[in-house]
Formats: sequence, C-alpha cells, structure tokens
Amino acid sequence: MIRLLNSDARWVRRATFVASILLGAAIWEYAGHNADPLFMAPLIGNDQSPGAALRLISFIGDSQFRGAILSSLALFATGFTLALVVGVPFGIVLARLVLLRVALESYILILYVTPMVALIPFVLSILGFGFWPKVLVVFLFAFFPILYNTLEGARSVRPELLEVAGSFRASEWSIWRDIVIPYTLPFALTGIRQATGRALVGMIAAEFFLSTSGLGEIIMVASRTPDMANMLAAITLITILGVILMRGAQALEQKYSAWRGVDG
Amino acid sequence: MNTQATDVAADMTVTNRWSNAFAGPDVWVKILAGLVILAAWQVIVGAFAPRFVAKPLGIAAAFPAVVTDRAFLAAVASTLGAVLQGLFIAMVTGVIVGVAMGRVKVFDRLLNLYVNGFYAMPMVAVLPLFATWFGYESNARMATIVFAAFFSIVINARDGARSVPPEYLEVCKAYRAKRRHVWFDITLHSSLPYLVAGFRLASGRALVGAVIAEFFVSLEGVGMYILAHARSFQHNEAVVGVLALAAFGLFLEGVMNWVMRRFLPWARRD
Repeated sequence: MIRLLNSDARWVRRATFVASILLGAAIWEYAGHNADPLFMAPLIGNDQSPGAALRLISFIGDSQFRGAILSSLALFATGFTLALVVGVPFGIVLARLVLLRVALESYILILYVTPMVALIPFVLSILGFGFWPKVLVVFLFAFFPILYNTLEGARSVRPELLEVAGSFRASEWSIWRDIVIPYTLPFALTGIRQATGRALVGMIAAEFFLSTSGLGEIIMVASRTPDMANMLAAITLITILGVILMRGAQALEQKYSAWRGVDG
Repeated sequence: MNTQATDVAADMTVTNRWSNAFAGPDVWVKILAGLVILAAWQVIVGAFAPRFVAKPLGIAAAFPAVVTDRAFLAAVASTLGAVLQGLFIAMVTGVIVGVAMGRVKVFDRLLNLYVNGFYAMPMVAVLPLFATWFGYESNARMATIVFAAFFSIVINARDGARSVPPEYLEVCKAYRAKRRHVWFDITLHSSLPYLVAGFRLASGRALVGAVIAEFFVSLEGVGMYILAHARSFQHNEAVVGVLALAAFGLFLEGVMNWVMRRFLPWARRD
C-alpha cells in the first residue's frame, strides 16, 4: 500500500493530487458547518450558512468587487513598476561605479533587512490618506529587494572582463550591453521575485492601515460585519492572486537563471 | 523548486561577502558616505518637510532618553520575545513537516499545494481572521508570527531533504545503516544549509508579521510604540523604534552568517 502511494505512476500522482484537494475542501466544509458562524464559514455551505466558494463566484458578477480588485491591482502595478524603474537601473549603474557601490552597499543592506511595515505609520502621519501614499508603501516594500539583489549582481561582474574590455578599447555602450547588463539581470530577477511577494504584503497592508480600499477593504468590512464567507472568499482570492504572480516571477527568473549558472 | 535551490546557492555566496559590508579597507568610504547621507537628510528635511518629521540630529537627541525608557525596553522585549518564541515553534514543526515532505512522496503530493499556496499568500491578509480567531491579544500576534515563518521553513526543509546525494543513501543501504542514522546523520545533516536559508527567510517574515499584528490588534510592542509616537507627531522617538527593528534584523542576519561560517563551512560555494 505504502509502496503504491509512493510510486511515480502518473495515475497515482493525479489521484493523490485530487485527494489532496478533496481532503482540504472536506476539512474546510466540516469546520465551517461545526464551528460558530462568527468564526468560520464553510466552503460550499447551505442556505443558513453561505459558503466562501459561492461568494467567490458571485464576486465575479458584482461590479463593486470587480472595482475593488482593479483598484488593488492598480495600486500594486503602480508601486511595483516604480520600484522596478528606479531599482534596476540604479543597481546596474552601481555595477559600473565601483566607488559608489562600496560607499552605499552597507546602507542598502540595512534598509533591506529593516521591516518596511514599520514605516507605514510615518507615511500615514506625513502624507495622510490618498492613492499616492499607498503607492509609496508598495514602492518601499518592493524597492529594496530589487536594489539589493541587483547590487549583488553588480558585485558578481568579473573585474577581469571589464579590464579586458577596457584594454581592447570597448565602447561604454558595448561594455554595458555585453558585460554589465547580462551579469546583473539574473540577480535582478531574483530581486523581482522577492519583491513580488513583498509588494503584495505592502499592497494589503497599505489598504488596511492607510485609507481602506480594494481587496483590503473587502476583508476589513467583512471582519467588522462579521461576514466570514466574504472574508474567506476575499482571502482566497488574494491567495490565488499571490500564487499567480509568484509563479510568473519564478518562471521569469528560471528562464534567465542559466546565465548565472556559468560561474556558480 | 529550483528557485529555492538557487536561493540557497546565492545565500552561501553572499555569506562571505556580507562580512565585508561593515569592515575592510573601504570602511572610511562607507563612513563618509553615511555622513553625507545623514547631512543630506538633515538639510533636505529641515528645508522642505513639516517640523515634526524626523531629522538625524533630532533622533540623536531623542536616542538616550528612549533607550533608557522602561516602556520602550518592555515593548522591545515583548516583540522580540514573541518573534523568537514563534520562530522556535515554526522551526520545530516546520522542519518535521518539511523533511517528511522531502522524503515521503505521499506527504509531498498531499501537502505541496497548500504549502506553496500559503507561502505565496500575503500574510497580512489573514490578520483579521486571526484577530477574530485568537482575540485581540498576544495570541493573535503569535499566530501571525508562526504563520509567517512556518511555510518558508517547510519549503526549505523539503528542498534540503531532497538534496541529499543519492550515493550517501546507497552507501547507508549497503552497510545496512540503522534508520535513525539515515534520518539524523545523513538527511538532517545535508539539509542543514537549506535550513539556515529557510530560517533566515523566516526570521525576516516573522519580524514583519509581529509588527503588523501589533498595528492591527493594538498590542504592546515595538510596532505599537512606533505607531503611537508617529501618530502623536513624535517622529524622532518613533525612528528609534525602527532602528531597534533594523538592529534586530541585522543581528539575526549576523548570527546566520556566523553559523554558516563556523559550523557549515563545507556548504560554501566560494
């Protein structure tokens, strides 16, 4: 029996995958029916206790929820793009300006390990409510992983290559195109993957603690009502969003990670 | 799965460069750059921002009073104690689950979906749920910390247990090694670098989880200290709280590096 379960046959793998989903769903359903409705909602549910899955489906038809999702995505995209546009070029420039890199790297490391959530109260008290303060929060969450990892790539650029390029009088442009950018890009992509996860945290945190909006607002409203089915549906939606974004970033990173493999 | 492995590889190469970050021949350049940054901060904020915004001189003036303040020290102890305790719980349970997933395929197939899903989920989203389940008290913070830390440890422990070179296991089999030797001397041992990488990831996430939980459930701690002082426009004092968090982050990072260099030198790549 155990040997069968551990075998690599395709049907066994598929069956365990389906079993895993069904088992999880069954546990959720059971907990939802037996717990206080103030604490837990079932997955599918019945007339008395509506389930999270049905709410999730009804979200799609509801223009208010569609608007909330779009506003969350707009916040994420704006903050993340800004972090990308500032972080990656800055990191690559540091690959070329060695003195500046040496001067700044310790401080970038410190900011990288500082939990950026701690800055939310400052953003709130200086900039107040509105769209751009929230963008700033997402930016802060995403920026330092990108910068730190790109800088890591900048460090990995072999000085010999730059020397050879210099002694053959390579133009500045071809040094960038053939050495600096190819060396830093795989590291930047690692940073981008880390930043994706952190920016999502920043997005929800900004929506909770600054002016409430988007998916964060749905969760907050549901927790005050309290409407567990709505809350679990929104959390599930955020989880799905997170998985999709992380998978995309991972795929991108893997596509270019072969470059990094050259010198370990 | 591969991404995690590259993470560990990157982790190991970072390890010795990291120690150069605060020492070495360039230390004067770094100090000078730091002074320039502080001066720029002081001048720019002084010129353009409202008066209550933190400035380096203001922070320096507030620093002695804050770090000798009983309430501040209690807040730091409360937060960091909770983080360490939560990390310990997550480490023990996460390693058990992760190693089981790495070595037993059924567990892996049953749990993989959930582990990856919860790992990718932004942990802030569950705060209202945890606040409802565990009440607006320190249990909710502990739950958030464990939740934030657990899944990154599981994923790394799983990849570590998978990375055991098959030759070692074959040799074990050939010499009819006892099962506990296979588990503890081979599997656990060769996944140690992965566990360190997982712990490093988890400690950062745990710190974020603790602070954010304090914001949400208004719990005594560094996060609440920062929030309360920022709200009452005492930004200089609040920045000292941020510095405490950064120092703790750096401390954990430093401990990880020391562990890697002292006990796991065989795992280094360069």
